[in-house]
Amino acid sequence: MTPEIGAGAVMVALLLALYGSVAAAAGASTGRTSLLLSAQHAALGVFLLVTAALGLLVYAFLTFDFSVRYVATNTNLGTPFYYRITAVWGALEGSIVLWAWMLALYTLIVVVRHRQNARELYPWVLAVMLGVLAFFLLVMAGPAPVFQRMIPVPNDGRGLNPLLEDTGMITHPVCLYLGFTGFTVPFAFAVAALATGRVGDTWIALTRRWTLVAWYFLSLGLLIGGWWSYHVLGWGGYWAWDPVENAAFMPWLTGTAFLHSVMIQERRRMLKLWNISLVVLTFSLTLFGTFLTRSGVIASVHAFTQGSIGAFFLGFLALVVLTSLALIAWRWDALRAQGELDSVVSRESAFLLNNVFLVASAFTVFFGTVFPLLAEAVRGEKVSVGAPFFNLVNLPLFLALIFLMGVGPLIAWRRASLENLRRNFLAPVVIGIAAAALFRVAGTASALTLLTFGLTVFTATTLGVDFTRATRARLRMGERLGAAMGGLLIRHNRRYGGFVVHIGILVIALGVMGSHAWSVQTETTLKRGETTELAGYKVRFDGLAARQESNHFKVVGTFTVSNHRPNLAVLHPSKKFYPQEQAPIAGVDYRLGLTEDVYLVLGDFARDGSHATIKLQINRLVSWIWVGGVIITLGTVLAILPERRRAG
Amino acid sequence: MRRGWRWLLPLSAIPVLALLAYGFRLSPRDIPSPLVGKPAAPFALQTFDGRPVSLDSLRGQVVVVNFWASWCYPACYEEAPVLERGWREYRERGVVVLGVDIQDKTEAAEKFIRDFGLTFPNAPDPAGKVSVDFGVYGVPETFFVDRRGRIRAKHVGAVTDRVLREQLDRLLAESS
Amino acid sequence: MSRRLKFVTGGAVIALALAYLIYAGVTQSAVYFVTPAELRAAPVAGKSYRLGGMVVPGSLAWEPQTLNLRFTLSDGQATIPVRHRGTPPDLFGEGRGAVVEGRWQQEGHFQATLILAKHSEEYKAPHDTSQPGYKELIKTLKGSQP
Repeated sequence: MTPEIGAGAVMVALLLALYGSVAAAAGASTGRTSLLLSAQHAALGVFLLVTAALGLLVYAFLTFDFSVRYVATNTNLGTPFYYRITAVWGALEGSIVLWAWMLALYTLIVVVRHRQNARELYPWVLAVMLGVLAFFLLVMAGPAPVFQRMIPVPNDGRGLNPLLEDTGMITHPVCLYLGFTGFTVPFAFAVAALATGRVGDTWIALTRRWTLVAWYFLSLGLLIGGWWSYHVLGWGGYWAWDPVENAAFMPWLTGTAFLHSVMIQERRRMLKLWNISLVVLTFSLTLFGTFLTRSGVIASVHAFTQGSIGAFFLGFLALVVLTSLALIAWRWDALRAQGELDSVVSRESAFLLNNVFLVASAFTVFFGTVFPLLAEAVRGEKVSVGAPFFNLVNLPLFLALIFLMGVGPLIAWRRASLENLRRNFLAPVVIGIAAAALFRVAGTASALTLLTFGLTVFTATTLGVDFTRATRARLRMGERLGAAMGGLLIRHNRRYGGFVVHIGILVIALGVMGSHAWSVQTETTLKRGETTELAGYKVRFDGLAARQESNHFKVVGTFTVSNHRPNLAVLHPSKKFYPQEQAPIAGVDYRLGLTEDVYLVLGDFARDGSHATIKLQINRLVSWIWVGGVIITLGTVLAILPERRRAG
Repeated sequence: MRRGWRWLLPLSAIPVLALLAYGFRLSPRDIPSPLVGKPAAPFALQTFDGRPVSLDSLRGQVVVVNFWASWCYPACYEEAPVLERGWREYRERGVVVLGVDIQDKTEAAEKFIRDFGLTFPNAPDPAGKVSVDFGVYGVPETFFVDRRGRIRAKHVGAVTDRVLREQLDRLLAESS
Repeated sequence: MSRRLKFVTGGAVIALALAYLIYAGVTQSAVYFVTPAELRAAPVAGKSYRLGGMVVPGSLAWEPQTLNLRFTLSDGQATIPVRHRGTPPDLFGEGRGAVVEGRWQQEGHFQATLILAKHSEEYKAPHDTSQPGYKELIKTLKGSQP
């Protein structure tokens, strides 16, 4: 019965969403509140139905209901309990269910939060959200049905892709999807603003927190993806410019740009056209990302499957892009700027440049990702560009962004005087250059590393300068140090929350710099008892063992790692043999450190355990990337707090 | 900006969308294999029943060479009934369906054949030589060989009743 | 210079710099997809290729002590000898599909810097590759015939 009930729920939800979307739009244009209320009820109904469908799916997984095709394909009797839950979003059809559920949840939250405080925009917002939801439900009902009956019911399922049996699998897609779907809300508000002609600040003020939350989850999802790649996939890296990684990175870039440019619109009423276009672009990129992942248009390690689903997504993407751009063209006059850029040397200018570079980066990532298509269409050649392209083009952009990150918060609005520049930037520039020089003296030769380090120090110093100056002002007014600093953070939480996030980005930048500049690796075959050496570490091969786990057979190697401390760690890289998979999956083992990671992969081995081939890496500063993620979390929490008024 | 120029904005999106749509044309399911139009490499295999089968012995008939494996799930599971149906319908008309099992275990393969009640000949390709000769890249892949022993089409992924019918009707309509 | 002109010039400079970066990036890192037959027809020494085919049974030779790996790739029409230094990935074996990235050597073999073994499953573009050294998969290689 499960497949039929689930499919039925999806079908009804689809019809309700379509109805709700049309009703909300009709209510918006005619002003009839009864239609709007009806749409609200529809939204609630959709949420309940999608929750039921998701719940049914989870239940089917937990009870090994192999009559559901999706369950049979993605789990088997040996799959551990918690992975049976996460298997729900482990493949194409289930991932769409998760996406739809989050959208439905967000829609409900929008209903609750905004039906009172956004009277004019709200009906259109609801219409758009239900419309997007209807699309995903359509995909669930049509090309990617998750509730298909399996005949005959097999005794055992195929099993979850072993690489997905990992804690990263639990969190990475969830975070990413929360981010992706989160951007639907600002987009819906933007469309509502265009539809009603209220393209001023209202829609921006209302969506500030939504944008921040969506941006945060997207950032977190990307970082967790990097972590997952690092500790599971066994190549010692965390980012490969894979098309699907790029697909998630592009909306992050434009989302970051949007996050910053709205501040200009709030202060100076400028960049209205830019902001609306940016949020449309960001949302379109989230759709594009999901299109890329599911259509097979561009090959990728993440890509799900092909079929008609890609055409569905492309069609919807085209609809969204063309309609939004047409709306923008329609409201062109209202979107023209009321303020003007006074000077190139100003905060507005710095923010604008920040946006330009972020969007330029998104463009280059887009270009590199679709380049194979372009080359084939134009020259008939099968070419692609890999990591070197993305690194080469993005590096200057990212360095420039680090620099702007230091300039932006301190430089004056409108027009910065020479005095203002000197006061704010002389010390940071000097310290940045001094730091780079020190680094050079300490032995680093690479100009790139020195430049990165110098810029990072410069930006960090500007943050320090600003915070110190503000604290000193409070101290002079008689406050105590702790209260002064705490008060600053709480009172100006948006500003300092942003600072903390920037610090997190700087830490990540240093981590990336370190891992690229200073990591080393070697590959070698060791006899039992033999030791290899790399970068001050000695690794000794002690032996091999084999055992049977619940759903796989495992061969584990034992390696003792020493540096100046003997027996620093014992590592157990392994190979797992899953019956349903053709080939074994490597299990990496590592010892993480704040500055150095020892990373070991088991390659080939002799059946009698007499020798083993290993790949050993000493990766530097990679942990800083994860630490940076924690700092970004703290900063976001601070920035999102409700603003306090004068008191306190 | 004069009134008309603003509409450039939505129009500018069309080339990008067109490019993405183009990406669809390149469906790998219709891979123009380099071998299409060329004579199929000769092979001699022994079926799971122990009977020999070779390409030469099938000359004069239309041959459907289907590469599969018991672990290839769900595609091979979907197309097995299709192939069996096609075999039963077309065998009197001069068509042979030959399944070639690759990278598989004998017991698992024989179970697969039993479970689906396959009556057309199936043979393992233990050394993988036949799959290499056909340029097989994955499973399932199906090759349609005409009466003169030339590969005329390659289908990647689970074969459907419609594809089977179309190809067989086409090749049968040709004179030897 | 009027303010507007300053901005337009600034924008143009940025756009041009970006275009140059992209051009340099593409020419430096472009990788061409070829089949053994295509490579045999027109090999260019030093050019970066991605070569795909089946590993010919009997051609695989792996020496754990020197980490030298040798094998031959075939597409049914032509064969290319390949050399690689390092452990072969797990999904790699004789009679299976593989894609290698590297350069053609004057001496007549292909020096692979990366091996991407293809998951010989159905044409679901796979979502798992597990071995050091590769993460992407090439989908398929078109033959040189139209």
